[in-house]
Amino acid sequence: MKFLSEYRDPALAQALARRIRETATRQWTLMEVCGGQTHTIVRQGLDELLAGAVEMIHGPGCPVCVTPLEQIDRAVALATRDDVIFTSFGDMLRVPGSDCDLQQVRARGGQVRIVYSPLDALTIAERHPDKQVVFFAVGFETTAPANAMAVWQARMRGIRNFSVLVSHVTVPPAMEAILSAPDNRVQGFLAAGHVCAVMGWTEYEPIAARYRVPIVVTGFEPLDLLEGMLLCVEQLERGTHEVVNQYARAVTREGNAPAMRLIREVFELKDRQWRGIGTIPMSGLGLRPAYAEFDAERRFALEDIVASEPVECRAGAVLTGQLKPHQCPMFGTACTPERPMGAPMVSSEGACAAYYNYGRFRTARAAATAGAGT
Amino acid sequence: MSATLDPVAGAGSGAPAPTIASTGLTCPVPVATHAHVVLGHGSGGKLSARLFAERFWPRFGNPILGQQADAALLEVAAGTLAMSTDTFVVRPLEFPGGNIGDLAVNGTVNDLAMMGAEPRWLTCGFVLEEGLPLEVLDRVLEAMAAAARATGVTIVAGDTKVVERGKGDGIFINTTGIGMRRAGWAPAPDRIRPGDVVIASGPIGRHGTAILAARDDLGLVTTVTSDTAALWPLVDALHGACGDAVRALRDPTRGGVASTTNELAKSSGVGFRLDEASVPVPPDVTAACEMLGLDPMYVANEGVLVAVVAPEAAAAALAALRSHPLGAQAARIGAAIADHPGMVTMRTHVGGTRVVDMLPGDQLPRIC
Amino acid sequence: MCLGIPGQVVELRDGGLVPSGVVDFGGARREVCLAYTPDVGVGDYVVVHVGFAITKVDEAEAKRTYDALAAMHELGELEAMREADATLADLDALPSKVGPGIVA
Repeated sequence: MKFLSEYRDPALAQALARRIRETATRQWTLMEVCGGQTHTIVRQGLDELLAGAVEMIHGPGCPVCVTPLEQIDRAVALATRDDVIFTSFGDMLRVPGSDCDLQQVRARGGQVRIVYSPLDALTIAERHPDKQVVFFAVGFETTAPANAMAVWQARMRGIRNFSVLVSHVTVPPAMEAILSAPDNRVQGFLAAGHVCAVMGWTEYEPIAARYRVPIVVTGFEPLDLLEGMLLCVEQLERGTHEVVNQYARAVTREGNAPAMRLIREVFELKDRQWRGIGTIPMSGLGLRPAYAEFDAERRFALEDIVASEPVECRAGAVLTGQLKPHQCPMFGTACTPERPMGAPMVSSEGACAAYYNYGRFRTARAAATAGAGT
Repeated sequence: MSATLDPVAGAGSGAPAPTIASTGLTCPVPVATHAHVVLGHGSGGKLSARLFAERFWPRFGNPILGQQADAALLEVAAGTLAMSTDTFVVRPLEFPGGNIGDLAVNGTVNDLAMMGAEPRWLTCGFVLEEGLPLEVLDRVLEAMAAAARATGVTIVAGDTKVVERGKGDGIFINTTGIGMRRAGWAPAPDRIRPGDVVIASGPIGRHGTAILAARDDLGLVTTVTSDTAALWPLVDALHGACGDAVRALRDPTRGGVASTTNELAKSSGVGFRLDEASVPVPPDVTAACEMLGLDPMYVANEGVLVAVVAPEAAAAALAALRSHPLGAQAARIGAAIADHPGMVTMRTHVGGTRVVDMLPGDQLPRIC
Repeated sequence: MCLGIPGQVVELRDGGLVPSGVVDFGGARREVCLAYTPDVGVGDYVVVHVGFAITKVDEAEAKRTYDALAAMHELGELEAMREADATLADLDALPSKVGPGIVA
């Protein structure tokens, strides 16, 4: 596939990995804050190629995983109603709420439908005028233009039986929260390429300057990630802390103007809770008053549904790199991929889930080596 | 007709009185020609009999079924029988590459074949939903008949029930199959040894992707078709070429090659190391999976087998598979190893290592 | 939250509230909203996320990125070859050791 497959070239990947290892005079700790990038790193085994030169901490980059428990409970409550068709992206279906997940609601008879695009949810609303159609508007800034368009079109086309349950988060405040934590270990960031395709990278310049960390806007294929890591390591070796764009084929400094316009038209910044981390001020998006009628939380009076996360869950510490998954007391016992307690175990690319599988392998290999030595 | 049914009124008017026979009375409303399944089709009465006579019998007809006895009588030679059952539910019922009927025959035939048993007889039980268009049923039965003929299995018994509208997804089919094991060959995971070669008989990811694309709520237009096919000819060819150097066979249906290799690893107690670059994936499957964020390794297949063979027989096994149209793209995809028993790892495209784990549930289209 | 795939615009469509079209992803096709990439035409490549084109692929930049990586790879191979030559030369007892990064 053009503009995809060539960025998976094994020989170039090996060459990049070699260059990273040659450039690093010590091990550096980097973080990516993007579920898609975590996916590639874990699925392609990139961290193995960089052992000794780069330690990657998988940040809170999966909006599905950081959706607060409360929003899941509200989603479940809506989906359970007879008069509601609840629509969502696929990956939300298995995220556990306080009681159950959306997939279980569907099993119990709730109308839950997976859609690929928010506009499909709008079409469902048009086709079912007798029902209320709610769309679970989850995402980072990458998805905000799409969700904004769905709400804007609902208003323009007068589709009154449509509303959105919003759980939008933004990346820069999360980065700052991580960097300002007293025991922060992150020395450089890979910024999410598609978030920046929409928003540009101007928001990262003050962060790089204030915290003196290099930030590299990076794509999603193996060569993109490796090149992004190399650019970060080169800066760290040099002692510079600039924002640099690796993903030049898709990102400009100013971002996508029409997309940003519609985001600003429909959404405004607000405080948001991140599952496992807590509230980060001004880190989320909510509907502006002009679009309040499309807010499912208002339409269905969901404010009474509140939830508190299990205190034993150490997701926050894992997501900010302070704790390795296997150091969490719940890891592998009370908390497994089949019965996840917190965000990083929910997604198969979450730090805890990835470690659950990769860690077992490392343990097995270590045991085999030890056995062979006797 | 102007005559009334009242014999009294008719008399005395000079016109001959209509007579009503006192025996052989039937409701004058003729039995309708239905276009859809109705509850009566499952009741065991005339409608059921007509359904069988007009739709099932012409397609499945054979002497055993023709006896229409309570049970089929089968003569078997001495040896080991393999028996398997499966129930098929799929939405949509008809999809690019086939329909639920193809799956119902091929799926059970393949389960028998994976045990090294030549499929011989099949039963099929149907649960039809009231309102199912009969022309859909016809196409499903047609597909089953064709699949059975292609493999040489005989459908020897069956049953049909009908449930109320809303209580079934159109059609549910259960098939139970019996096959005869080849003497001296018992493929099973416990025969796998480190060093054995893992072979996939063809390109993966087709069936599950075709199904997902056929559910038009994702809006995906693709050329992917289901690969549903009976695998016994491939198994027969493998056995002919390699005998019991074929250690184990499994068809990667639900959960894909990833789940199947995990099952084999757990049952056998050895580890598996696969090579991502060697796993054959058709370009149209790759394209559709990229779009939806799916991993072809976890997508269901209905016309592929995974064979684990002794290393010295690997070349002959590949040649045997490739000589058959179904196995034209057979490829070595990995090996059994002594490392990490019970686990499957994979050398990735870029030379890293990835653990191929079991998913807790179905793969879902993702956004991140 | 980033699953964005590059695809080629094969058809433009009229009639909706905003521009849309059909994008081909290596054989799979889907209708895509083009409201955020108003300047694309048939034949252009876009990155698509949840049914929306979020940016046009800058083909010149794509080539530049790829060529730079390929060049780096070749340079690395050249250096590796020089190291191998140097090792052989060492066997002939050269006074100084030739290392990587020294351009002849």
